Amino acid sequence: MNEFEPQIVAFCCHYCAYAAADLAGSLRLQYPTNLKVIRLPCTGKLDALHVLKAFEEGADGVMVAG
Amino acid sequence: MIVGEQKPLEEIKELVADHERILVLGCGTCVTVCFTGGEKEVGILASSLRMATKIDGQGKVFDEQTVQRQCEWEFLDTIEEEIKEHDLILSMACGIGVQAIVERFPRARVAPAINTTFLGLPEEHGLWTERCAACGECVLHRTAGVCPIARCAKSLMNGPCGGSQDGKCEIDPEVQCAWQLIYDRLKAQGRLDQMLEIMPAKDWSTSRDGGPRRLVRQDLRID
Repeated sequence: MNEFEPQIVAFCCHYCAYAAADLAGSLRLQYPTNLKVIRLPCTGKLDALHVLKAFEEGADGVMVAG
Repeated sequence: MIVGEQKPLEEIKELVADHERILVLGCGTCVTVCFTGGEKEVGILASSLRMATKIDGQGKVFDEQTVQRQCEWEFLDTIEEEIKEHDLILSMACGIGVQAIVERFPRARVAPAINTTFLGLPEEHGLWTERCAACGECVLHRTAGVCPIARCAKSLMNGPCGGSQDGKCEIDPEVQCAWQLIYDRLKAQGRLDQMLEIMPAKDWSTSRDGGPRRLVRQDLRID
């Protein structure tokens, strides 16, 4: 169990958190592959259905960044 | 609108316990606008049930569908095949929608996922309150547009009663006294003399006391 790495789905706002992730990529910064980023036009677009769908498809955690 | 409230998930899980292929069926009218049984709520409930039953080790199928109105044959007919392909229809419509499915498709097994609560309106965001009891004989013209049947706890026709305190009903400090509302509005309209008109005992035969009701419009019938 110590090797358990949760699958995290990150819903990111296009204008801030996603831009930051994009910049991190440009800077060749590394982040774990078990974090899956989904870009939203705004985190205000996030719906309970999106979160449920992420969990239903196997995510262990959901992060909302915006 | 008809206002409803979803049943607790544990209760819904019991309703679907003996079934494998379940169609979660929403309605696009009243229960959509009161955020109880529309397309979005169908998606949330179906997703919740898929995960809940999976955790319990059951391999059930929950499909999703929403029709514009579950209370009319024409809309139900558009999903006839889907209804026949499932061994349970979990309806998120009001009680009328649930009954309409069984009447149209007598072999269908149907379970209600929501409780139909009342006829009302959204008073504030996230707050719905009762306005009409569908009594069958409207008196709103005499009561300044406030219904004493639906909004007075005793359905008094000549109120208020002694339980009216500071504009609130004795049953609950959150409930406004309907007759205080009637008085205030009549006063604002300069019609306080209306309060002195005694309303006769109500004929409840037009309400539920007369049994199940029906309405016939000969001008609309095709015989």
